[in-house]
Amino acid sequence: MPTVVVMDVSLSMTRPVSLEGSEEYQRKHLAAHGLTMLFEHMATNYKLEFTALVVFSSLWELMVPFTRDYNTLQEALSNMDDYDKTCLESALVGVCNIVQQEWGGAIPCQVVLVTDGCLGIGRGSLRHSLATHSQRSENNRFPLPFPFPSKLYIMCMANLEELQSTDSLDCLERLIDLNNGEGQIFTIDGPLCLKNVQSMFGKLIDLAYTPFHAVLKCGHLTADVQVFPRPEPFVVDEEIDPVPKVINTDLEIVGFIDIADISSPPVLSRHLVLPIALNKGDEVGTGITDDNEDENSANQIAGKIPNFCVLLHGSLKVEGMVAIVQLGPEWHGMLYSQADSKKKSNLMMSLFEPGPEPLPWLGKMAQLGPISDAKENPYGEDDNKSPFPLQPKNKRSYAQNVTVWIKPSGLQTDVQKILRNARKLPEKTQTFYKELNRLRKAALAFGFLDLLKGVADMLERECTLLPDTAHPDAAFQLTHAAQQLKLASTGTSEYAGYDHNITPLQTDFSGSSTERM
Amino acid sequence: MKIFSESHKTVFVVDHCPYMAESCRQHVEFDMLVKNRTQGIIPLAPISKSLWTCSVESSMEYCRIMYDIFPFRKLVNFIVSDSGAHVLNSWTQEDQNLQELMAALAAVGPPNPRADPECCSILHGLVAAVETLCKITEYQHEARTLLMENAERVGNRGRIICITNAKSDSHVRMLEDCVQETIHEHNKLAANSDHLMQIQKCELVLIHTYPVGEDSLVSDRPKKELSPVLTSEVHSVRAGRHLATKLNILVQQHFDLASTTITNIPMKEEQHANTSANYDVELLHHKDAHVDFLKSGDTHLGGSSREGSFKETITLKWCTPRTNNIELHYCTGAYRISPVDVNSRPSSCLTNFLLNDPRYKIDGSLEIPLERAKDQLEKHTRYWPMIISQTTIFNMQAVVPLASVIVKESLTEEDVLNCQKTIYNLVDMERKNDPLPISTVGTRGKGPKRDEQYRIMWNELETLVRAHINNSEKHQRVLECLMACRSKPPEEEERKKRGRKREDKEDKSEKTVKDYEQEKSWQDSERLKGILERGKEELAEAEIIKDSPDSPEPPNKKPLVEMDDTPPVEKSKGPVSLLSFWSNRINTANSRKHQEFAGRLNSVNNRAELYQHLKEENGMETTENGKASRQ
Repeated sequence: MPTVVVMDVSLSMTRPVSLEGSEEYQRKHLAAHGLTMLFEHMATNYKLEFTALVVFSSLWELMVPFTRDYNTLQEALSNMDDYDKTCLESALVGVCNIVQQEWGGAIPCQVVLVTDGCLGIGRGSLRHSLATHSQRSENNRFPLPFPFPSKLYIMCMANLEELQSTDSLDCLERLIDLNNGEGQIFTIDGPLCLKNVQSMFGKLIDLAYTPFHAVLKCGHLTADVQVFPRPEPFVVDEEIDPVPKVINTDLEIVGFIDIADISSPPVLSRHLVLPIALNKGDEVGTGITDDNEDENSANQIAGKIPNFCVLLHGSLKVEGMVAIVQLGPEWHGMLYSQADSKKKSNLMMSLFEPGPEPLPWLGKMAQLGPISDAKENPYGEDDNKSPFPLQPKNKRSYAQNVTVWIKPSGLQTDVQKILRNARKLPEKTQTFYKELNRLRKAALAFGFLDLLKGVADMLERECTLLPDTAHPDAAFQLTHAAQQLKLASTGTSEYAGYDHNITPLQTDFSGSSTERM
Repeated sequence: MKIFSESHKTVFVVDHCPYMAESCRQHVEFDMLVKNRTQGIIPLAPISKSLWTCSVESSMEYCRIMYDIFPFRKLVNFIVSDSGAHVLNSWTQEDQNLQELMAALAAVGPPNPRADPECCSILHGLVAAVETLCKITEYQHEARTLLMENAERVGNRGRIICITNAKSDSHVRMLEDCVQETIHEHNKLAANSDHLMQIQKCELVLIHTYPVGEDSLVSDRPKKELSPVLTSEVHSVRAGRHLATKLNILVQQHFDLASTTITNIPMKEEQHANTSANYDVELLHHKDAHVDFLKSGDTHLGGSSREGSFKETITLKWCTPRTNNIELHYCTGAYRISPVDVNSRPSSCLTNFLLNDPRYKIDGSLEIPLERAKDQLEKHTRYWPMIISQTTIFNMQAVVPLASVIVKESLTEEDVLNCQKTIYNLVDMERKNDPLPISTVGTRGKGPKRDEQYRIMWNELETLVRAHINNSEKHQRVLECLMACRSKPPEEEERKKRGRKREDKEDKSEKTVKDYEQEKSWQDSERLKGILERGKEELAEAEIIKDSPDSPEPPNKKPLVEMDDTPPVEKSKGPVSLLSFWSNRINTANSRKHQEFAGRLNSVNNRAELYQHLKEENGMETTENGKASRQ
C-alpha cells in the first residue's frame, strides 16, 4: 500500500515547544523527528513500498514523488522552508491528484497528515471548507472521501488538551468521518517532547505499518515469509458476522490446480510472499528471481539454505499451476508465480472472498481432492480434459432456452420456427414438434391460450397451402398438431397438462422417416 | 453486505380474479408472412395478451433475471389470489427456478372470466404473503443454528410485490392497511414460535395495472413509511410492454443491478454464412461491477439503452479472447450476468460462445474432501530433498517405480512386487558396478568411490522407505526387502567406516531427511533473533564437542533400530554452521515444551528399539543396549 506523507509547513509549525533547559525545538522539528522514525521503520520493514512527500501551506507542493528511496525522503525533511497559512483542502485535492495519477482508483493508499492542529483562517481554512461542505457542486467536490480506498492518519503535533481548547479536534474528526470513518487521529500524550512524539509515531507504526509474518506450509515443507502488503481484515456480513476476519499466520497449502481451471478468479487483494532472509535488513523483500537466484543471494547465508518458497515458486511457474492455500476456516487463497518482467517473477498470494464456495466453477472448496482418489483421472489419460468448470445444478436462463415473449419479436421468432419446420415436414418432424411443445408449454404457463388457437389456425392454413409435391405425411402431421393445440387451448386439465407433450402422429407410409419421439 | 436484507425474500402476489382475464389491448402480430410466399393470403388477425398474461410474464422475467444473477440466497415465493390464496412454491432452494414456477402457473391456468367477482379478492394473497414472510428459510435456519447465542442477528425482512387491478386510491389504502394489520397479528404469533420469525421490515410494492387506453383510477405514490415495519409504494402501470418495463426497472432497483452493453461483437450472418456483422448485447449484473469505472471517472456512459429512456448503460467493446488461457490475470471481481433480451439472436450467440467451453465438463462434483488432499501432501513431503545435488535416488530413473508408489496410503500386492523388483534391480546395478548420478559439486577430485556411492544411495532409499513404514504392513514389507538386499557383512561396513572419512554429502542428505522439525526450529529461531547473542557464546563449546574423538559413533547399524535422533552437530564431520548449532539448541529447548515421545523416553543414548515385538515373534533376542537396566 503506497503512502503519502502530507506535511504542514505553515508558520504555526514553527511555534517553539517549551522545554525546560535544553535547546529550543519547534513543532516542525518534532514532526520531522517522528517522520524520520516512520521512514526508518519503513526502510527496514517496508522496503518495497512507495512513499511520497507533500508539503503544504496555502499552496501545496510534491516534494518527493513516490519512491522507495527513503534517503531522499529523509533529506527532503531537513530541507523544508516555512511558508504562510494552513489550507488543508487544497492539499487534500493535491493528494487526490497525485495518487490517482500514479495508482488510479483501485489501489489502497495510506495518507499520513502531519499538522499542528491550527487549521488556518478565512477562505481555505478547514473550518471554512467544512462550513461550505453541503453547498458543493460536482466540480468542486470536497476531496474526501478520497476517490481510492484509503486510510487517513492525522498526526497532531499537539496534545489533546490543546486541540480541545478550540474546535480543532472536532474539525479533524469531521475529516475522518468524511473519509467514511477510514482513518484515525493521533495526538501527543503529555508534554510536547521528542520522546512523546516517538511514542505517537510508534502507535501509528503498530496500527498501520507492522509487517505481516507467516509460516508457509506444504506438508512437511515450510518457510517463514512476509506477506506484503499486510492483508487487511475482511467483514463478510456486517449484520450476522460483524467481526472482521483476519488470515491465519499459518498458511497451509492444501493442493494444486491448473491455471486454466482456476482461470483468473476474482480476488479481494494480492500480496507478495517474501521469504524472510536470515540476515535481516539485507535484501529483505527482493522477489525471487528466476534463474539468477544463486547469483543474487550467493553472498548470503540465506541463499545457501534451500528455501521452500524457491521450490514452490519455480514449480508453480514450470507447471503452470497455482497452489490453493488455506487462510482460515472456510477461507482460501491462491499462491502463484507472477511475472514482473521477462526475467523476474515473484511468488504472490491472492485472497478469495471468504466462504465455502468462493469460485462457483470449482464447486465447494472442501470437495476438491487429490486426482488419485478419483475413480478415473478426471483430466483423462493424456491430460486433454478437465473436470472444470463444474456445471451448475440449475442452468441459468441463457443456457436453458427459456421462452420470453415480452417483445413481439420474441413471440414472432418462436412462431416462425414452427412454421419453417412445418414446411419441411416430414424431414423436420422432430424439430417441428420440439418447437411446438416449447411454445405450448410457455403459452400454458402464461395463460396465453389465444396464442394456441392462433397457431392452430395457422397450421391448418399451412395444410391447405401444401404444394402437390409435398409428402402426404406433412398434411397428417399439420392437422394432428393443429388439433392438439386446439384441445390444449380449451385449458381443460385433460389436454392442457404442462408436462404433456404433443407427439407426432404415427403414420405408415413406406419409406417414411417418421420416428417416435 | 447483508445476506438477510429485504431482497432475501420476495413474495409475488398476482391477482387471479376474473377482471384479470381482460385483454391488455395491445396487439401482437404473430402471423408474419415470410418472403416468397403465395400472394393473396390474408394474415391471421393479431391477438392480445390478457392482464393476467402480462402480469405473469413480467414477473417471470423479474425472476429470470434475479435467478441468473443470484442463483442462491435470493428467494421467491409465488402466490396467486382469487377466491383463496394459491401458494405455488416454497422458500426451499429446490423450488427456486423458472421451470418449477412455470409448471405451477400452468396448473393454475388463466383466470376464469365467468367466476363470481364477489368471491375473489387480492386480499387472500396478501394475507398469505405476510404469513409466508414469517416462515423461516433454510438459509435463515442455517445461519441461526451457526450463530447459536447470537441467533437474533439473523434478520427477517422481505418484499411483497403485488400486481393487481385496484379500483381507487382508497382501495389501495385498504390493501395497505390490511397488510399492516396482518403483519401485526402474525408477528405476535411468530413471537411464540420456533419455526416462524417476526417480520422486521417489509417493503410492499403495489402495482396497479390496467388495459392500455384506459384511464388509471389509481395514482402513483413513492415509497412511504406506514409503520416502523412496513413501507409501501404504489405504481400505476399500463399493461403489456409497460408493465414488463416497470418490473425490469424494479428488479434492478431491488437487487442493485446495473447495465453494461457489449458493443461490436462480430457474429456470422444467418443468411450469408461467410460474412459477419457487429452486434451489441446488453447485460445486467450487480452494480459493484461498475464501481471501479465510476471511480476512475471514465464512465463510458453510452446514452440510454435501446429499451428506452430509463437507465444508463456502460458500454464495453468486445475483444475476442485469445485461445490460450493459461495466463492469470488480475481480477478484482467476477459477476453473474443476465442478458436483458435473453432470446435475441445476438444475446444467444454471445452466451453460447461463452458457454461452449471446449473443455470437458462433468456432472456433479468430485466427492472428495480437501482433507484427503492435505493428507496426501503430508505423505509426499515426508522425504523431499530440496536440492537436486543433495539427492541420488531422485536422479535415478531406476528408482522411480518404487518412489512413486511408496508415498501412497496403501499398496497393492502389485505395488509391493514392483518395489521389490526395483530393489533387486538396484542390487543388480551394484553388482555390475554401474555408475550412479552422485553429484560431485563441491567435492574435490572425482568424488566418492563406487561402493561408497552405493552406500549413500542405499541410505537415502532407506530413509525414503522408512518415512512410510507406518502407512501399512505392505510398506513394512518393502523395507524388509530393502534391508535384506542391502545388508553387507558387518566387518566390511566397519572397515569402511574406519578407513574412510565419511562423506559430507551423505550427512547432508541424511540431514535433509532427518527431521522436518529442524527446519521449523530454524524458523522459530529467526523470531528469537534477539537472543542470538547468547547462542554465539555456546558455539565455542559446540566446536569442542564436534572435534572431540569422544563424539559417539553410532554403534553397529542394525536393521529396524536405526532411529537416529542424534543431533547433526554430533554427527557432522564438517564445520558446524551456526544454523545447525542453533537448530540443536532450539530443538532441545522445544523438546522441553512438549510431552516427550515414548520412544525417546525409553531410549538409551538417544536410541530406542523399534518393533521389538517383531523380534520376539521371530524368536530373536533383543540385543539392544540395556533396555532392561532402565526398567
